[in-house]
Amino acid sequence: MEAITYDRLQETLYHETMSNGLQVYVLPKPGFQKTYATFSTKYGSIDNHFKVEGESEISVPDGIAHFLEHKMFEEPEGDIFTQFAMQGASANAFTSFDQTVYLFSATENIIKNLETLVNFVQHPYFTDQNVEKEKGIIGQEIGMYADNPDWRVYFGLIEAMYATHPVRIDIAGTVESISAITKETLYTCYNAFYHPSNMLLFVVGGVDPEEVFQMVRDNQASKDYKPQGSIDRLFEQEPTSVHQARKESKLPVSLPKCLFGFKEKEVGLSGEELLRRDLTTKLALDLLLGSSTTIYQKLYDMDLISDGFSYEYNSNPHYAFSAMGGDTKDPDQLLEVIKAEIEAVKSIGFREEDFERARNKKIGGYLRMLNYPENIAHEFTRYNFRGGDLFKVLPIYESLTLDDVNQRLREHIDWNQLAVSLVVSP
Amino acid sequence: MNKIMFERGSVGQIRIHVMPTTRFKTFAVSLYAGIPLAEETVTTTALTPFVLRRGTVSHPETIQFREQLERLYGAGFGFDVYKRGNYQIVQFRMDTINDSFVNSDQSLLGQSFGFLGEVVTRPVTEDNAFRASYVASERENVRKKLEAIINDKMRYAAERCLEEMFRNDSYRLHPLGERSALEQITPESLYNAYQDWLQNASLDLYVVGDTTLAEVEELVERNFHLQRTSSPGYEPEQVKLTDIEPRTVTEQLDVNQGKLNLGLRTSITYGDDRYAAALLYNGILGSYPHSKLFVNVREKESLAYYAASRFDGHKGMIGIQSGIEIANYQKALDIIKAQLASLAAGEISELEMTQTKAMIRNSLLEMQDSAFEMIAYDFNRILSGKDRPVEQLLSEIEQVKPSDVVAAADSVRLNTIYFLTGQKEG
Repeated sequence: MEAITYDRLQETLYHETMSNGLQVYVLPKPGFQKTYATFSTKYGSIDNHFKVEGESEISVPDGIAHFLEHKMFEEPEGDIFTQFAMQGASANAFTSFDQTVYLFSATENIIKNLETLVNFVQHPYFTDQNVEKEKGIIGQEIGMYADNPDWRVYFGLIEAMYATHPVRIDIAGTVESISAITKETLYTCYNAFYHPSNMLLFVVGGVDPEEVFQMVRDNQASKDYKPQGSIDRLFEQEPTSVHQARKESKLPVSLPKCLFGFKEKEVGLSGEELLRRDLTTKLALDLLLGSSTTIYQKLYDMDLISDGFSYEYNSNPHYAFSAMGGDTKDPDQLLEVIKAEIEAVKSIGFREEDFERARNKKIGGYLRMLNYPENIAHEFTRYNFRGGDLFKVLPIYESLTLDDVNQRLREHIDWNQLAVSLVVSP
Repeated sequence: MNKIMFERGSVGQIRIHVMPTTRFKTFAVSLYAGIPLAEETVTTTALTPFVLRRGTVSHPETIQFREQLERLYGAGFGFDVYKRGNYQIVQFRMDTINDSFVNSDQSLLGQSFGFLGEVVTRPVTEDNAFRASYVASERENVRKKLEAIINDKMRYAAERCLEEMFRNDSYRLHPLGERSALEQITPESLYNAYQDWLQNASLDLYVVGDTTLAEVEELVERNFHLQRTSSPGYEPEQVKLTDIEPRTVTEQLDVNQGKLNLGLRTSITYGDDRYAAALLYNGILGSYPHSKLFVNVREKESLAYYAASRFDGHKGMIGIQSGIEIANYQKALDIIKAQLASLAAGEISELEMTQTKAMIRNSLLEMQDSAFEMIAYDFNRILSGKDRPVEQLLSEIEQVKPSDVVAAADSVRLNTIYFLTGQKEG
């Protein structure tokens, strides 16, 4: 067990790698009632084509990582929620583009709940019957998202940007794609991606680190994991340019939804380099479009945007893009005005004073995030799977300069890389 | 268990509640302003905070106003407008970094109070009215928010079910007011309404963080400019149960998935001695993955992705929500009704009791890790007049017997069945 202290943050993180490769991290939060634990695999909706060392290459149906997440909760003796509820824990799971996370929060029976978490995720139980049953439930989940205009406009943007990269696939897949899922394909994916060496356990809250490590050591020692070779995730060559400049979907909405963004040209970054670019871009977007900027205020005064206007930047070693927008009465006018305004800012650059203020705001937001165990666990794992360290964010923010942010702005906002997604009423 | 201990005081007819603690990296500040929910005032009250967040006497321009927040290390500032019982509550929130984590030369708590006090009591005005341009654009903003409710079908169905259920009660009103009333609001009329509101609302100010009651009282004295003559309290809802035939309301929209919502009344409210039994009733019915609705509607029949219930102890009502295949309406409704009947008939297992108690206990204990949740829990006491510390509720939960849950079921009446269906005949 190693202890890593972060004096500025008044936090100490404990870490140990189990002999089977499982990474375990514990962040004690003295005085907290709750313990929050996540058990995550670096496996998400984009991993639909892969090759495990020594085995053959395989393609699997869209939406299978999410389907697998649903099915993990079933054990021969019934639903694992029953066990968690008896132990007073609230359990859940989610699947994203590049990870699947199983979690619980509890105030009592912590070690027991941790064992339940580790055991159920390390014990798949799929039958033809329980796989078929799940198709109805996930079919309704897909139907729910199909009716959600925010989801549709977001996926529309990614579909417009990416021609071949599986980030364009809806995380839950489609009713057609999941119909091809069988217990055999589930086991194949499980065996490839749920090996301990591809997983991370994060525990945060009122816990004693040594007690957690001891339980995990004993638990893992009792299971017979053979070493696993590396996993090659196979992606077709994705063109640099956007797939489609504009994409439109129909759903009943009170105002058109317009989301647009820029597809990053350079991919393949990882670790601190990726984290640095991520933070610099987010700071640049804040300075460009935050609610205290002249652009935001101008668009608001022109009634082209409203409170829901937002922007984000999503980056991973394999893809990166920004997304910005919201409800607007006139998407074309919004795009026209915003383009002119952004070009003006790009040519002069941000002001030093604004830069300092925006950076302080980011630092404040980061510190506030550390009040919430859930956020710490999720963010830590997300950064770790991309080769970064959540607790290094503060020094990176402090090392950023105005020049870095101006340069990033000019690099990222390239109108040739623009894609637009709209949802309008039929 | 940490005891939730608020120290109480009062300044200028504002009740003050302070919890000194060093557990968090921030100061959490909440100001609750409540007035009776009424058609005449609902819209002006809703619009008021939107205008207040545009500018103050010292920061009249919105950009300056927001820059000031960013200078406080991006202090979180926001507000919500919602209904509790028969009241419309405007809640302002601030979440400011504790100075010890950043290099700030002035007290951030002091500056935050300077900011909040000014937002609420020193808005920018012109000729004894709010600034006209702010009123015009925020009126538009609120109108768009009201119209956008239809975009999220889950929320839309829940709102419509409430509206139908309380069509003869002011609770039918949306907390953001009525579109038709917005148009008549002028900068003068809104300013007058604002002054009445500030004079007559019940005001409760909460702070959780590394501070003292004396410090907060001094900050309120210095920063809130009010001439209030009284400090009104809240009257809890009294529910009179009537035996009526439940009404069924069906509405058509262009949707893929049907939304089946049920509205039920109960005579048990927050102040009632049977409150703990009602929490158990709702928990067994539909708050958790082990609950009857989840198990029977989702897991056994694969009819839905979500099927859940929510108990509102201030109004005395339970809402059931589910998203289903349109053709499965009758089947889903029958299964939901069967769950209500089974609870009323006392079909409650030992396991359901244990699990539900453990889950409620967990959520009550977890709440103590969140400053804003502790504040919200304490505010229940102000709203209901019932002082029920967490420890007491925990022990009441432990003592609930199946017969108490059946007695709680006896206080529940199905009132409204609302179904949002597709355009074509399903």
